[in-house]
Amino acid sequence: MAGSLAYFLPSAKLAWDATGQVVSIPSPTAAPSPTDPSSPSPTALAQPKDAFTVLLLGSDDDDKFYADHVLTQSMILVRVIPSTHSVIMLSIPRDLYVPLSTGGTGKIDGAYSYGGAGAAIATVQNDFGVHVNDYIWIGLLGLIKLIDAIGGIDVVTSNPVVDDLYPQDIFSNNPYGYSRVAVLPGPQHLDGIHAMQYVRSRHGDLESDIGRSKRQQQVLIAIRQKAKQVSPGDVPSIAAALGGEIKTNIGLDRVAALIPLAASFDNPDAITSLTMSSPLIHGGCPGGSLCPNWSAILALVRQYFP
Amino acid sequence: MIARFFLGVGLCALMLVSSFGTYMYLGGRHSKVASPAEKPTAVSPRATAFRLPGTIYLAQSGAIYSLSVGRFHQLTPQEGWMQPSVYPDGNYILAVKRNDFYSDVYALGRFGQVVRQWTNNAGRLNDTTSQHWSFYPRLSADENTLWMSYDEPKFGYDALFSIWAMPLGGSIRQARLWTNSNDYTGGDIGPIPLATGGIMYTKYSYGPDGNRIGQIWLTTRPAAQGIEGRPLTSPEEDCMEPSISPDGKLVAMICTYEKQISQLTLATWNGSSLGPRSAVITDQLVAQPAWAPDGSGIAYLAPGSANGPFQLWFLPKERYAPPPPSPTPVPTPTPGGPYNGTLPSPTPAPPVTPPVIKPIQITANSGFDATSPISWAG
Repeated sequence: MAGSLAYFLPSAKLAWDATGQVVSIPSPTAAPSPTDPSSPSPTALAQPKDAFTVLLLGSDDDDKFYADHVLTQSMILVRVIPSTHSVIMLSIPRDLYVPLSTGGTGKIDGAYSYGGAGAAIATVQNDFGVHVNDYIWIGLLGLIKLIDAIGGIDVVTSNPVVDDLYPQDIFSNNPYGYSRVAVLPGPQHLDGIHAMQYVRSRHGDLESDIGRSKRQQQVLIAIRQKAKQVSPGDVPSIAAALGGEIKTNIGLDRVAALIPLAASFDNPDAITSLTMSSPLIHGGCPGGSLCPNWSAILALVRQYFP
Repeated sequence: MIARFFLGVGLCALMLVSSFGTYMYLGGRHSKVASPAEKPTAVSPRATAFRLPGTIYLAQSGAIYSLSVGRFHQLTPQEGWMQPSVYPDGNYILAVKRNDFYSDVYALGRFGQVVRQWTNNAGRLNDTTSQHWSFYPRLSADENTLWMSYDEPKFGYDALFSIWAMPLGGSIRQARLWTNSNDYTGGDIGPIPLATGGIMYTKYSYGPDGNRIGQIWLTTRPAAQGIEGRPLTSPEEDCMEPSISPDGKLVAMICTYEKQISQLTLATWNGSSLGPRSAVITDQLVAQPAWAPDGSGIAYLAPGSANGPFQLWFLPKERYAPPPPSPTPVPTPTPGGPYNGTLPSPTPAPPVTPPVIKPIQITANSGFDATSPISWAG
């Protein structure tokens, strides 16, 4: 008993710190949302056999930003349908110009910065008409450490990712400096740093943030694949690696229920990856942001996130 | 009283031992997912169970290794070395040394010592746009021309690779641009000089569905002389990493069909086009196929288990080129002259199911660089 307690103490501490986050959802603003405004907050599910939706948030959280006032460079809605063992991923462009739950309009990546996870969730719920059950936020270092803690991931990188102006804001004294990146193409085993370079670089991509979203989804699938090999004995080292770089409202009881569920998703064809490109969005909104074509977006969302 | 004291001490000791034991037991329940790859030279037992012909050069963790007569040798320190390619005469090895900001091509001796630096891509300190990458170096058969992927021309954010041919010993200013890379795709990589004077390489572009795809291309003249060659594979196949067989009649390549899979695919090659495809490995994440110089098979890299570091594998020739069926036995004449009676109907031979030839895993705990082509010398 004492040995178990000592062994799992680091993960217990992380669990206490990171999981079960209470999110405060601002009152919904007027929005084209069919969501019931009387219950906009994430709700725990009685059983993991019910379909549920998770909002994944990824942020630059380097020295350029104040803690908890970071932009979410990556926002991915994930719908898990246990009955069919299928997953649907929809990347939301960070530059999408939307009504924010905290008031006014702006790029959707600012919602978290203005009001934390609650504001990000409420913005997505209000604007897209999706009920979000859970959220997971992870910082840059967290993704690197997570991938390293599970021993790297196998990815088929779709093309050479070359960037002469890649932000040198990790492991650097100058968060405004630039580095060079050349992730070579093809099947390969990526460690945390190189996986981060692959999903974060966007300068050499004609689709910019949308192209980057596709790469992020590739890496998410690879992480899920690799996570199936993790045993309970690995939990403390992973917990130690992630300290402070991950937050979620998912409680420990739900985590325990979801682990076997995740392991049961084996068919890669049962994963649907969606991104928003033209005609769902177009340029020309303020500050270089992307204008949403709400009728097309909501039709897509209603189809996959009923 | 004394008995109770000893009982208490005993129970405390038992509690300590069981706690320690539990802690150690749980510690031993680690999976091996995060175990670091071993150096190929540390493999125990050594890879002597199956010996490959010739010498194979490959890279792991920034060091170049050779494998010959069943033993690995570390040729360079772990200092960013990758992409070895043996000179046509077999006396030296071309290799890339990369750091965080640029990479250069070097000539190494067969034992890994630096003989000469062929490119100079360092550029200016703190000016990332002045620095360059050189990757996938190959020498022409006459060893006068260095072919490589080089990130020039580049335009601001649009940094990408093109194929260049540089006189060996010359400078990049003397080099000729051979391909017109598609903007914002990553460009063209992996030139293979052909005996006919052209090159085979992988070109990246946006496919009809808007996704980035790779295609094997053939071009026979520098881009400046007109329209660049033509694709040998379709966008839907999403192929890369071609390797031509020693007899020049087959091409092995990796095709991914725009998915997170890879298939080792073979096609006949007549010098100008690829014939029908044959997927010979479909259940592994295959990378960097390389033909044995004696034609006995194909080496490649793939994870040893699902989602692990890449190991060295060998696919015997019998898997993709099964031996022809045995000839039908001719009935031997019966001594004693012709027989006019009814001949017994021949018993049909039972169908022979050819044995399935499986790939052979050469290493188990290594972690080879799957972006570094394998070079295999005789």
